[in-house]
Amino acid sequence: MNRALPEMLNCMNAPGTFLAGNCTDMTVLERQRARMKWHQHEHNDPIQLHQQQQGYNFSGNELSGVFSVPIPTGQSQAQGFMGLVCGDSEVKPDPCSENRWAELGYGSCGLVVNNNGAAGFEEMINGHNNNSNISRTFSCPPTVAAEKKSNDAVLSQKINSPAGKESFKKRKADKVQSSKAVAAEDDSTEKRMKGCAEEGDSKITEQTSTKNNTNNDRESSGDTSKDNSKASEVQKPDYIHVRARRGQATDSHSLAERVRREKISERMKYLQDLVPGCNKITGKAGMLDEIINYVQSLQRQVEFLSMKLAAVNPRLDFNIDDLFAKEMFPACAANFQTIGMSSDMTNSAYVQFNPAQQMVSSCGLDMGINSSDLALRRTISAPVSIPETFLDTSCFTQAPPTAIWDADLQNLFNVEFHQGRTTPFQSQPFTGSIEASNLKMEM
Amino acid sequence: MTSITTSGVTLNIKSCRTKFAHRFVRSLLQIRNHGPPSSSSSSEEKLIQRRRQRIKIAAYSSMAHAVGPRMNWSRALLFKLRNRACRHRKKKRVVVIRRRTKKASRSSQGSVPVDQAKKLRRLVPGAKSMDLCSLLEETAHYITCLSTQIKVMQALADHLSK
Repeated sequence: MNRALPEMLNCMNAPGTFLAGNCTDMTVLERQRARMKWHQHEHNDPIQLHQQQQGYNFSGNELSGVFSVPIPTGQSQAQGFMGLVCGDSEVKPDPCSENRWAELGYGSCGLVVNNNGAAGFEEMINGHNNNSNISRTFSCPPTVAAEKKSNDAVLSQKINSPAGKESFKKRKADKVQSSKAVAAEDDSTEKRMKGCAEEGDSKITEQTSTKNNTNNDRESSGDTSKDNSKASEVQKPDYIHVRARRGQATDSHSLAERVRREKISERMKYLQDLVPGCNKITGKAGMLDEIINYVQSLQRQVEFLSMKLAAVNPRLDFNIDDLFAKEMFPACAANFQTIGMSSDMTNSAYVQFNPAQQMVSSCGLDMGINSSDLALRRTISAPVSIPETFLDTSCFTQAPPTAIWDADLQNLFNVEFHQGRTTPFQSQPFTGSIEASNLKMEM
Repeated sequence: MTSITTSGVTLNIKSCRTKFAHRFVRSLLQIRNHGPPSSSSSSEEKLIQRRRQRIKIAAYSSMAHAVGPRMNWSRALLFKLRNRACRHRKKKRVVVIRRRTKKASRSSQGSVPVDQAKKLRRLVPGAKSMDLCSLLEETAHYITCLSTQIKVMQALADHLSK
């Protein structure tokens, strides 16, 4: 996530300098996405594919994806985006949203984003209006399917948007501070929304949002919206609730002792699963013996294997070229996420892929959907003239080892980010090389 | 608590394995490139022994690096490896410290037999002064990491010996 952010910010520097604060960043981007959704029926398949991906990835990917999408579609998008940015500066003086950003902070980000996304719709259509027109703006898109998708997108925004920006701690703190303010604000928004409830699909969003609001009213203690409740599922309560059964001691010491014993038995069970041959043994002493033996055997195995490697090591001096080829492959095989894949398979696969690279790139979309094979992606993105991918592919062409490892480590650390980065490449069979150069400039 | 940690262990195995593999291969290359210069003077067996020691240390340290400082055993291992040079210099003092920690770790452990726990403490790095709960947790994580380490090393050995 944090690695995704700088690149994102780089992307943002290109379109305009308005985007300074975090909040504004999010709103602008959400609006951009919403606008893309709204225009969806005009465009062709790749964009839909992008947006579907964006909807379900986390926002770091989304943002980069969003900024890569407008390039193939043309200049009208870019202009629209500039207009949106300007619209953002117009929204700012609007007291309602200003207050909301100030009071709620990050805690109620989902709802605020919802409202502001709707406001983005409004600005595109009517210019300055009140928030009461939300339902109408939602009913604007002509096709039902597209509208549903936009609704889904709004929901996913609700889920994704706060997680993209801040750490959980910050949100928690903000939640505690501004929960009451959130409840009050949501009351007002709820009333407004109810007042102008109109048509079929727009009702869906309203229902969900009102659900959220009612939830907020009920649980004024912590959970502000859907995403926050999700976050509270993740965070565990600080205390452990213990109940003594009939006849058991209830003083604090024995309760604590019971909790400790339960914990120990839980971990013992987990260890039992880990250690082979530990299932048959009953009794903690025997199990511990078995565990000790297993750890000792593992350590001995490490010794033995290091001995083996040490014995093998001098031979490496003779075939350095082979060494590179050989030693890359276990690492790549680890990337493959399929453990059982042997190096011979990868070797042959590499041999197959290298002449067939052009074919693979021509049918890049089909391969790109198969998201588990990152190495395949690397080979796919080889013909595209972008320096980063060349770093990745240098794995196979025996470049200096440091570059290889850095590139591979990049892949390692953020696999999902890599996927997000490769999304622009998928559209390139459709657009051609001119867009590639454009993309470079934008990056 | 346990569910989170155990699921974390299971989830992070893949990234651990890749990280470990990269680090280990890198250190192997380093060992090969900057090998002992006095290869002619010392015998072949000694050389292999020294190299074995270095490879073992590299394997452990790369595993600990891959796990990072969030587990106790990896932290202890990293600390130990970092202070290895110092320990060679000041052997006596470290021994004294060790004795003290051994004494401090002696406490009754209730239902689980004390001897086994002591043995396990000796095996798992950094577990000398730990209560039984965390000892078992660390042991579980250590076992998973060791097994992944062994898998990677096995694969490497197979490749290189071909």
